[in-house]
Amino acid sequence: MTDMPVDPAMWAPAPRDPASLDRIARPNLTYWQDARARLWRNRPAMAAFGFLILLCLAAVFGPSVYSHNYYEQNLQYANVPPAFPTYAVPQGDGSSQEIYFNFGSQKLYLIGADGALGDLVRSSRKDLMRKTQLYTVGDQQVAVDTAKSTLGLSDGKPLEPAGWRWNSLYPLGTDQLGRDELARQLYGARISLAVALVATLVNFTIGVLYGGISGYLGGRVDMVMMRLIEIVSTIPLTLYVILIMVTLASGFSAVILAIGTVYWVDMARIVRGQMLVLKEQDYVAAARSMGASTWRILTRHLLQNTVGPILVTLTMLIPSAIFIESFMSFIGLGVSPPEASWGTLTSAAVETLRTHPYQLALPAGAISLTMFAFNFLGDGLRDALDPRLRS
Amino acid sequence: MIAYLAQRLALMLATLFAIITLTFFLMHAVPGGPFVSDKMMAPEIAAAINAKFHLDEPLWQQYLAYLGGVFTFDLGPSFKYPGMSVNQMIASGLPTTAKVGLLALLSVIALGVPLGVVAALNRNRWPDTAVMAIATIGVAIPSYVIATLALYVFAMRLKLVPTFGIDDWRGYFLPVFALSGFWLSYVARLTRSSLIETMLTDYMTTARAKGLRPGQILFKHGLRNSLIPLVTVIGPVAANLLTGSFVIEQIFALPGIGRHFVLAITNRDYTAIMGITIFYAVVLMVMILLVDLAYLALDPRIKFGARHP
Repeated sequence: MTDMPVDPAMWAPAPRDPASLDRIARPNLTYWQDARARLWRNRPAMAAFGFLILLCLAAVFGPSVYSHNYYEQNLQYANVPPAFPTYAVPQGDGSSQEIYFNFGSQKLYLIGADGALGDLVRSSRKDLMRKTQLYTVGDQQVAVDTAKSTLGLSDGKPLEPAGWRWNSLYPLGTDQLGRDELARQLYGARISLAVALVATLVNFTIGVLYGGISGYLGGRVDMVMMRLIEIVSTIPLTLYVILIMVTLASGFSAVILAIGTVYWVDMARIVRGQMLVLKEQDYVAAARSMGASTWRILTRHLLQNTVGPILVTLTMLIPSAIFIESFMSFIGLGVSPPEASWGTLTSAAVETLRTHPYQLALPAGAISLTMFAFNFLGDGLRDALDPRLRS
Repeated sequence: MIAYLAQRLALMLATLFAIITLTFFLMHAVPGGPFVSDKMMAPEIAAAINAKFHLDEPLWQQYLAYLGGVFTFDLGPSFKYPGMSVNQMIASGLPTTAKVGLLALLSVIALGVPLGVVAALNRNRWPDTAVMAIATIGVAIPSYVIATLALYVFAMRLKLVPTFGIDDWRGYFLPVFALSGFWLSYVARLTRSSLIETMLTDYMTTARAKGLRPGQILFKHGLRNSLIPLVTVIGPVAANLLTGSFVIEQIFALPGIGRHFVLAITNRDYTAIMGITIFYAVVLMVMILLVDLAYLALDPRIKFGARHP
């Protein structure tokens, strides 16, 4: 065994730097900075957040920017899809006239030179022998066999689809009264989001105050208030929203009142639970010894520290408010026509599902995506704000 | 046990009383009577109708009469269907609603729990990802959207099942699927997280250390303990399946109580709305009570009456 040559300088003690002992290795983050960083790293939650911001912008500014409005009816163009197949009808002079036949509503439209939907052509007569409807297009007769969904010329020669065209007049089609689907969709988003936000705020206020007072005061007040909550939570709430909606005339404010006054129980429970823990903390005792009033302690010291759980509960409340509103609208208790929300749009689409299925895609897609987004954002917020998950 | 049961029953009665009172006065606060319509009615006829339904009596008298009726299981006549009582309405819709609802409850448990177990056992591998993806979709998409999409794809396009009614056994598929979708996903997620948590406990390590078979570990130690939180959600699940049936029965044109209820709302048939609400409330309260009792019986750590901290 040979000795390893060791440089004697290595045995010298390292210089002592008193400052390094107190140096903090990582930057000092406040609760909110930390939460923001966690949320930022959560890609699905951020994508959901971005989607919701875009949706809100579309709902706020969309209806005023977009050229169509949500209530104007044009029965001539009822139930026109966003894209349709066209047929070229040869004319006597060698040119051809482009047409579109809507099998769902049994209507034949001429297509203008610019590719937009033109005039409606009325059926000139019925051919009972061949079970066809005859339409006059220019100098030709077009025979439509509605049973087989085929078009032909009057001499029996079949017409083949010439191609697909986008609906340049109504980019997303029209509903059964000829109202623009996109405009109704934007307006529906506005109503649905507004109902959800306002109803959630009402629930938030009631829930936080109820839970805060119950938890802070404790004792007999707490017991009575909790018994009341127990009774309220055994009542099936959907039924009560329905009853309130039946009692009040249906409409925007009725929806908000019905949803807003019913779903605060969870919020109250969570705030109360937090309050019971927090009110025993020393800083509350300090505030009280300095002569702070109950109201000040409640709003300035206690509620501020329950913001995390409250925020998570709020993001979970919004999608359920959207859901309840659309559920109510679906069974006919929401906003009244011509106003629209996602629920009324979906329920209108169900009526025409067999003939015009495209009308379902938008409202169903919009509400599903929004629910997804709120779910992801809620999960992300919970992960970001829960101190127990900190590594 | 008896004391706890008595306490719960007393609370139930108080809730029921609150529900009846609230329902009664809400329905009587509606502007205009149930028979106010566009048609001009001779005052004698209006008076006769009001007398027949005791609408000419003072409100408190009507209230007491209604309260007495409810406690003798008589929910009164329907305002819109002459000769039909609310009891008959409920009786005619109950079989359909109960069949679809129970099948949905069954599929929530019989599919949701195994899916959650599969996900938990294959944590962070593809079965887990697949189950969680489906469950996320199921939780986010509203039941009526699922119902309409399923109706369009399976009934109208593929023509695999009838579009309405349950005369045919295949007719049950879509309503049950649409009704149970949300809660199936919810239960799968809950089972997964609960089982994962259970698998980290010491007694699971002990079970593995003493060489038990994997099946024994999973069923006797893991699942049995992780299913306890599940039992508590069965009550709310049953409640939501009942109220969820409003839209499902409407979309699939099923002659159940939910459809009667929605029709009663559209027709402003106040006695029917009141009666069916109270009926639902009673069913739900009984269900939640039964589930709570089962919960107490399953978990010996919980003492009777000490459930609420």
